[in-house]
Amino acid sequence: MNDLVAGRVPRHIDLDATDHAIIELLRADGRMPYRAIARELDIAENTVRARVRRMEESDTMRLVAVTDLEAAGYNMLLAIGVQVEGRSPEDVAREMAAIAEVFSVNVVVGSQDIEILVAARDQAELSELIGDKLGSIRGVRRLTPALAVDVLKNQPDWVPFHAS
Amino acid sequence: MHRKLDETDVGIVERLSQDARLSNREIAEELGVTEGTVRARVKRMEEDKLIRITAVTNIDRFRDAALAYIWVEVERSEQTRSVAQALAAIPELGFVGVMLGRSDILAITMVRNAEHLAKFVHQRISAIEGVRGTQSTLGVNFIKHDYRMARIVN
Repeated sequence: MNDLVAGRVPRHIDLDATDHAIIELLRADGRMPYRAIARELDIAENTVRARVRRMEESDTMRLVAVTDLEAAGYNMLLAIGVQVEGRSPEDVAREMAAIAEVFSVNVVVGSQDIEILVAARDQAELSELIGDKLGSIRGVRRLTPALAVDVLKNQPDWVPFHAS
Repeated sequence: MHRKLDETDVGIVERLSQDARLSNREIAEELGVTEGTVRARVKRMEEDKLIRITAVTNIDRFRDAALAYIWVEVERSEQTRSVAQALAAIPELGFVGVMLGRSDILAITMVRNAEHLAKFVHQRISAIEGVRGTQSTLGVNFIKHDYRMARIVN
């Protein structure tokens, strides 16, 4: 479900120094006016507009609002290691990715087979998420959770884009 | 304590999380509120760090990029906070959290390969005062990351 929609596979584009400079400014302020970006980089406003459009259309960059988990009512953030047996980790990972509260899913190598990040509103929701939703997925042998008690930094500027 | 979002806030954020360049006027029309309300709400939510409007880039578009989870154990528990702060100052780390369970601190970064990861950990993390040891896992397939959700700090 997270694969790009069939028939809509955007082409790969190479980014130059101007593109990277535009991305850096937009990371700091995603609604920075194109005119201000143009002035900052000493290029034409139309160039900025065209570059942004090109990066968006090729699915290279998106300008989005990120909501704080706590403000959205999610008070608990956990990193859970998943050990898999009798099924491919990719299949288990895709099933986990379909759960809204599971906001990051990575197939990894090491002592765990999958690493996921999950958010829960409270202990009851967390218990249901771990015990019922995640624990009952076929192929899950063991879940090893850790609770984040203090997040000092959370700015993943690189993520996989999904069809949505 | 963080303020929660009300219905109007959520309506605005839902639209901006799809396309942050939508104008205040377009959002106002869709929600049936004034443009001034949208402008004020967006400003307030940004100032209160409830939302962050930003550019995210697609990792699939960058060659040689793998996600690494680095679990850091400190020498003494009292050093957890200072080690976490030192880690948060490293620009390459996208996530730093003090954890209960598994280890003391989780740091997440993007690396080119296992060799790059080993070098990064050795040069940038093991050298931090108070770090007793690390355990890393390297991502081979980044299946999902919902960028619309994060803990907004700083």
